[in-house]
Amino acid sequence: MFVNLSKLNLREECPLTDKGAPKLCMKALPGEGAERSCAFDGARVVLMPITDVAHVVHGPIACAGNSWDNRGARSSGAQLYRRGLTTDLMEMDVVYGGEKKLVQAIIEIAAKHRPKAVFVYATCVSALIGDDLESACRQAQAQVPVPVIPVNAPGFLGDKNIGNRVSGEVLFQHVIGTAEPEEIHPFAINFIGEYNIAGDLWGVQPSLEAIGVKLQSCISGDARFDDLRTAHRAKLNILVCSKSLTNLVKQMEKKYGIPYIEGSFYGIHDTSNTLRAIAEAFGDADLIARTEAHIQKKEAETRAVIAPYRQGLEGKRAVLFTGGVKTWSMVTTLKELGIEVLAGGTQNSTPEDFLRMKALMDPEAHIIEDTSAAGFLTLIKEKAPDLIVAGGKTKYLAHKTRTPFLDINHGRSLPYAGYDGMITFAKAVARTVFSPVWEKMRQPFPAGGDAQ
Amino acid sequence: MTATAFAPRSYTGNPQKNSPALGATLAYMGVDGLLALLHGSQGCSTFIRLQLSRHFKEPVPLNSTALLEDTAIFGGWEHLKKGIAKAADKFKPRIIGVMSSGLTETFGDDMESAWSTLRQERPDLSDLPVVLAKTPDYVGSLQEGYQRTALALVETLAKDPAPQDAKTVALFPGVHLTPADVEELKDMVSLFGLTPLVLPDISTSLDGHSELDPAPVVQGGITLEEIRRIPGCVAAFSFGPSMAVVGEALQRMHGVPHMAVHSLTGLEAVDIFVLKLCQISGRPIPERLLRQRSRLLDTLADYHDQIGRKKIALALESDLLLSLAGCLAEFGAVIQTALAATAPDPSAVPPGIPVIVGDLEHLEETAVGSHLIIANSNARQAALPLKIPHLRAGLPVFDRAGMPQTVWIGYRGTQRFLIDCLNAMAV
Repeated sequence: MFVNLSKLNLREECPLTDKGAPKLCMKALPGEGAERSCAFDGARVVLMPITDVAHVVHGPIACAGNSWDNRGARSSGAQLYRRGLTTDLMEMDVVYGGEKKLVQAIIEIAAKHRPKAVFVYATCVSALIGDDLESACRQAQAQVPVPVIPVNAPGFLGDKNIGNRVSGEVLFQHVIGTAEPEEIHPFAINFIGEYNIAGDLWGVQPSLEAIGVKLQSCISGDARFDDLRTAHRAKLNILVCSKSLTNLVKQMEKKYGIPYIEGSFYGIHDTSNTLRAIAEAFGDADLIARTEAHIQKKEAETRAVIAPYRQGLEGKRAVLFTGGVKTWSMVTTLKELGIEVLAGGTQNSTPEDFLRMKALMDPEAHIIEDTSAAGFLTLIKEKAPDLIVAGGKTKYLAHKTRTPFLDINHGRSLPYAGYDGMITFAKAVARTVFSPVWEKMRQPFPAGGDAQ
Repeated sequence: MTATAFAPRSYTGNPQKNSPALGATLAYMGVDGLLALLHGSQGCSTFIRLQLSRHFKEPVPLNSTALLEDTAIFGGWEHLKKGIAKAADKFKPRIIGVMSSGLTETFGDDMESAWSTLRQERPDLSDLPVVLAKTPDYVGSLQEGYQRTALALVETLAKDPAPQDAKTVALFPGVHLTPADVEELKDMVSLFGLTPLVLPDISTSLDGHSELDPAPVVQGGITLEEIRRIPGCVAAFSFGPSMAVVGEALQRMHGVPHMAVHSLTGLEAVDIFVLKLCQISGRPIPERLLRQRSRLLDTLADYHDQIGRKKIALALESDLLLSLAGCLAEFGAVIQTALAATAPDPSAVPPGIPVIVGDLEHLEETAVGSHLIIANSNARQAALPLKIPHLRAGLPVFDRAGMPQTVWIGYRGTQRFLIDCLNAMAV
């Protein structure tokens, strides 16, 4: 009943055989405190930003109850995706099976919330008690007017990356190519792995509009189901979050002949490079010229605005403690502000992410292997950075080290993508690095406090 | 007023429940030097860490046994042994607090036998206190997980008798008390010259102080030595109906007289507790508490008209729900709807409170026409479209500052709760 693992090549080999290379694809060990997530989480990360569909979690309360509406993926329209919907399995369901309840739940949810589609997520418990997700979805489908789509990525399948891949498979099998667009734009593209955290996507769109490129669909930030169905008519795929959906772009290339490039929209350098790469991929002279003109204009404007921030930040030293594409893209972004990266590392990065990061960083820079709280604290003590850049999970621990901290993960409320995002980013970095708070935290009680 | 249950639904929409393991984590966070270990897949612990971190704005030391596909077939018994050993070796905690998950309960891992086998294999770990709490995801919510874990802490760590101490009382605060509430409770008890031993005590671990050396284990909270003194207490109090089982267990094990305090919010509720403290300590009511009571009465007089007959809709875990709804009803408000995350003991429900088990989609349906919604941050999806003021309470609260610092218990806290309700409605 699960997705065929060997077909997806989920157990990716680590090609890094150099002596001392970090163990990037290592499984988390029991009790070691690696702060990683599971396949179910990986699936919801990709699919739950689809705004006008119902996301139904088939499991006991933990999987939906602790986590619904907790990511900052924003929508310009429908809010249905933020709703927490679950079969909330009880003890009796675990004993007697939850399939019937699931079928009924899908029918009730479709009637009440009128979604464009229903995505149904397996969890550890529903998979373990042998509920057949595909069969339940087929049964419900007979009574529901919109597509009912199974997402079979229970948590124990592995890490978050595996869940990402399964959802790519789900989109490819069940969604993409199921409808035709009204018109086909000559420069239509898809973003793959852009989740519109805090509105990131909206920081990039003005540039696309300026150069005359149409975003056919964004997988899956601020996505509407009907747009995703037409994604196969785009001419080019841009893989934004490095590796999480590589399987999807490869399959789209094979079936629909859509080539893909990788890109990132964090920082001036990467934003420009990605826009340039898009234009070059189309090979249209006018588009290339328009894009270059836009880049020159925006780079100059952006650099002028961030100059005063850069002046203050020049020479500061940062530690990066984050995931995926952000590891290497953030290195360049911080460099643009004059900040040197002392150490970086992540649990979700692939070997390629790592090699790229390594090439960009100081040769002496440290790659973090121990991503537990303990490993983090040791590193901060050793490096004494001026800035920590990491995700929400580390935020409050970082505060205890009295070090300026910037949250760049899904919990943040500010968009950092595109040229405008770079300005927002520069301001946010400066706000934390120059906050008077850290120094006050480092100071002991004013002299005289020990007087009798 | 009689409450009728909702028409049965096959799904839960916008759940107000959190997982029992999340409640268990919260209980473990009140014990000094403890490392919590969730026996489940990695997402189980990641979601809990995120949920608690965004509520308390604090790091949450919680490790996982990181179960994968093979364990779904062969069981997670070996992983639990490895997890305890690794956590002990790497982080040197004073106590390890284990909780189960839906996954491990479904395949029926025997945590007791895993631990006793490990103890034989690793004699060096045999003195390490390990607490095992069973918290399947499909039974209850955070309140039940917290309750089971508090019970496991008492049964495991306070099982040996301790010398009698006439000045010491045991306090078992419910999951509905904030760190600042627990501190207020300790202060109230201390005013009577009594020494409180609080299990769990989140007032010194989740109170958001900037400690000197951040560590991957719980810092602050009750110590192991203090827990071991609990059997010698002169009396024990549990706070919130769900916590009564913990006090009863202590009474059964060591004969410590136990009193179940259902609520500490509301005039009558606080009076009962204060009078009991007078009896135990042999001291009169401290001047400071009398003053606070007098201020509360004055506030009631000043604002009785603004609170009287106001229709209030609440959706909360049941201990907190009964406490706040009971207080509002006592002061003349009308409880339009009271949605509990899980069913409370019917004998603990104050008269006139129409308690029904429901989620936040039920809140959307039943809150229409009320003057105030009291629920966690997730209820904004109900409150915003209905244009009803929304006072944040419960967990998670992530879009308002200061929830862990909020005091809504005692005379002073009851006054604050009323003021917060009035200010929310004034907007």
